[in-house]
Amino acid sequence: MLMEVLQSAFNPIILLYMVVGVAAGICIGALPGLTATMGVALLLPLTFGMDATSGILMLLGIYVGAIYGGSISAVLLHTPGTPASAATAIDGYEFSKRGEAGRALGIATLGSYVGGIVSCICLWLISPQLAKLALKFSSAEFFLLALFGLCIISNISGKDMAKGLICGFLGILTATIGIDSVTSYVRFSDNVNLLSGVQYIAVMIGLFAMSQAFESIEDIFSKDEVNTKVTRLLPTKEDFKMILRTSSVTGLIGTFIGIVPGAGADIGSFVGYNAARGFSKNPEMFGKGAPDAIAASEGGNNGVTGGALIPMLTLGVPGDAVAAIMIGALTIQGLTPGPMLFQSNKVLVYTIFLGMFVANTIMVLLGFSCIRLFTKVLSVPKTILTPIIFALCVIGSYAMRNNLFDVGVMLFAGVVGYFLGKVKIPTSPAILGLILGPMAEKNFRTALLKSGGSPTVFFNTVICWFFILLIVVSLFGGRIKALVKKTAKKS
Amino acid sequence: MKVKKLLSTVLTAAMVATMLVGCGNSDGGSAPAGDAPAAESSGSGDAAAAPAGGADLSGESITCIVPYDAGGGTDTVMRALADAAKGSFKNVTVENRSGAGGATGMLAGATAKADGTTVTMITVELTTLEAMGTNAGLTYSMFKPIMMVNSACSAITVKSDDDRFSTLEDLIEYSKSNELQMGNSGNGAIWHLAAAGLAKTAGTEFKHVAYDGAAGAITDLLGGHIDAVAVSYAEVASYVESGDLKVLAVMSDNRLESIPDVPTCKESGYDAVLGTWRGLGVPADTPDEVVDALYAAFSSAAESDAFKEFMDNSNNVIEILDGATFEERIKKDLEVYTGLVNDLGLKVQ
Repeated sequence: MLMEVLQSAFNPIILLYMVVGVAAGICIGALPGLTATMGVALLLPLTFGMDATSGILMLLGIYVGAIYGGSISAVLLHTPGTPASAATAIDGYEFSKRGEAGRALGIATLGSYVGGIVSCICLWLISPQLAKLALKFSSAEFFLLALFGLCIISNISGKDMAKGLICGFLGILTATIGIDSVTSYVRFSDNVNLLSGVQYIAVMIGLFAMSQAFESIEDIFSKDEVNTKVTRLLPTKEDFKMILRTSSVTGLIGTFIGIVPGAGADIGSFVGYNAARGFSKNPEMFGKGAPDAIAASEGGNNGVTGGALIPMLTLGVPGDAVAAIMIGALTIQGLTPGPMLFQSNKVLVYTIFLGMFVANTIMVLLGFSCIRLFTKVLSVPKTILTPIIFALCVIGSYAMRNNLFDVGVMLFAGVVGYFLGKVKIPTSPAILGLILGPMAEKNFRTALLKSGGSPTVFFNTVICWFFILLIVVSLFGGRIKALVKKTAKKS
Repeated sequence: MKVKKLLSTVLTAAMVATMLVGCGNSDGGSAPAGDAPAAESSGSGDAAAAPAGGADLSGESITCIVPYDAGGGTDTVMRALADAAKGSFKNVTVENRSGAGGATGMLAGATAKADGTTVTMITVELTTLEAMGTNAGLTYSMFKPIMMVNSACSAITVKSDDDRFSTLEDLIEYSKSNELQMGNSGNGAIWHLAAAGLAKTAGTEFKHVAYDGAAGAITDLLGGHIDAVAVSYAEVASYVESGDLKVLAVMSDNRLESIPDVPTCKESGYDAVLGTWRGLGVPADTPDEVVDALYAAFSSAAESDAFKEFMDNSNNVIEILDGATFEERIKKDLEVYTGLVNDLGLKVQ
């Protein structure tokens, strides 16, 4: 069997497909508005004519590439190419402003690789055991996970907690627009385009990219001295050690987030970011361009890639939106992902495992060989770059649903984001609120519906208590630490 | 120099993006990599025409609107059908217009030019959305149905190691004295209404638990967090084969070919036949000869071996109805679902 697996994964044609897939994925990921999910969905029809192995491995290449690709525009343009890199944009862009874009991209590339490989190892060695974890999650656990995610707002708000909370709640409030999924009540939407809610990707493009573009119009003719010279591509020894340490931990966290159905790379990167801040030696640097912040976020989101495949291959349950499309792709090939796949198509399953290693390796090689090219974007005069960003924002928000309404949403969010920036309110909490608000609300209500209104449902299982503990630590960890120090001093 | 080079790189990237986006609209012209599915078929325009009824569409580019996301069940069926039908037209492209539970895409299709070049995949939500009152003005009479393509009935499924239920009667009796948690794919979605319809016929009540899509409900059932689900057989088939879940009954007129041992609800004494369907429709003003030509092209595509094989592999059931019969079915379903929605108090004001 080993020979068969090696033969099919290292078949030159399949390798070529994977290189094409990863390259396409990086481009798709780097373009704001085109997410990993969309990239895989858009290129899915191309795989209809291929055999199962080539098709799936190409899609995996796109997936891995796109999740990494989002970090490139996040670092260079303060525009997360995909929601998965929203956390990377916070610190990554600070590097670009300092003229260290090359270093930031190097950290992001290697961090993504380490995170991806850690998740591959989990996928390869312990997927049947981990898959059972996915079934342990029900509404109560999902709610607590989302609540824990929302606590991250407190850590990405910077100095001014109130401003972060304002923005976070603004995001949660925006997320309530549309048909409520528990009672079908229509909230805040007399427009048909709002019935299924505000598209959070359009909001994200507006808040990050469009507002940035508006701001750069202010001094569009000034020649600012950005140091675009890339002195070194590979991270220094210290950076290398830091990445290895940080990204392998957040990669592991990402893998777990990936396993949980319904939680994807966007949540993985934020949770990774938050965790790394917890064990960082200088957490006060987070948000101001900390190298470990980038490594954590990118390790976290690429960790999700392997994690999401675990329940997909073992149970037929998609770990995230991309895995859901892959299930469609496998179905078209006449294969049914699920408990039977391991028995009936062992070679294919192990080829997918190996393919993930290969896709990650292609990603890191392509990434490092192109960093120099990527950073050239910064030397483009603003008079040219800004209109291009405008165009990309419009295309990206239109592309999601081929709906002009979403372009309006994006523009509106852009204007709001511009003024929020003027009063120094950070915008990333709004994205967290938009992503996690609906997840928290829906699962909170479903859990209570199932328990007949009894709140004990949130304290019933070990997983519940695990998340409660995490929430307490993340909210009061600093206080507790300070208190312990104080009492230690006294005595 | 450098700037120029870079600019061209950036512009190329932008162009690729535009092409990916515009994939649905471009026909022929430049045929870059991202455009392959559309370009592929453009050469075979004169291969097979279907001039039935006088209208000739072999020189036309047909756009098929799918009101749901790419990669989902409706999308994959449409893509397989479009692929099988590509010989009958200049080319066939599939465009996803998701949103508002399908209303956005179906509205776009209903208000398109009535010349047969825009075909919409209409689904059972055409009736359930109207019943719910979340249709945003969408109604079945905006369409002239071409044909029904496939259907799927609800399969009442429980955990196979759940010894409380070995027949549908057990489940119904249990629900009369206990709270039975029944998972579905969304509030007011077809599987919610199907389960409610069964409860109504059997004179009992279920506690309906809504998820975003069937996958969430099935996962919760596998984990033992709810008692049963009422989704389609295709969605639970792999777990039934692996022995994790068992189907107690199906809500169709006849037993399913793939599970001949499972009785229908009718056999068990509960006359409930409910499920989803997918079909093709064009704007209501489309001339009849154009509709006939489309029917000829797509029905022969639906009977092709490639399409049949795909549907078999994905556990989908092909059920072809002509336009008139299909319209009757739509009318009847609207009545049934409006009644159920009123009973459940789901109507949105």
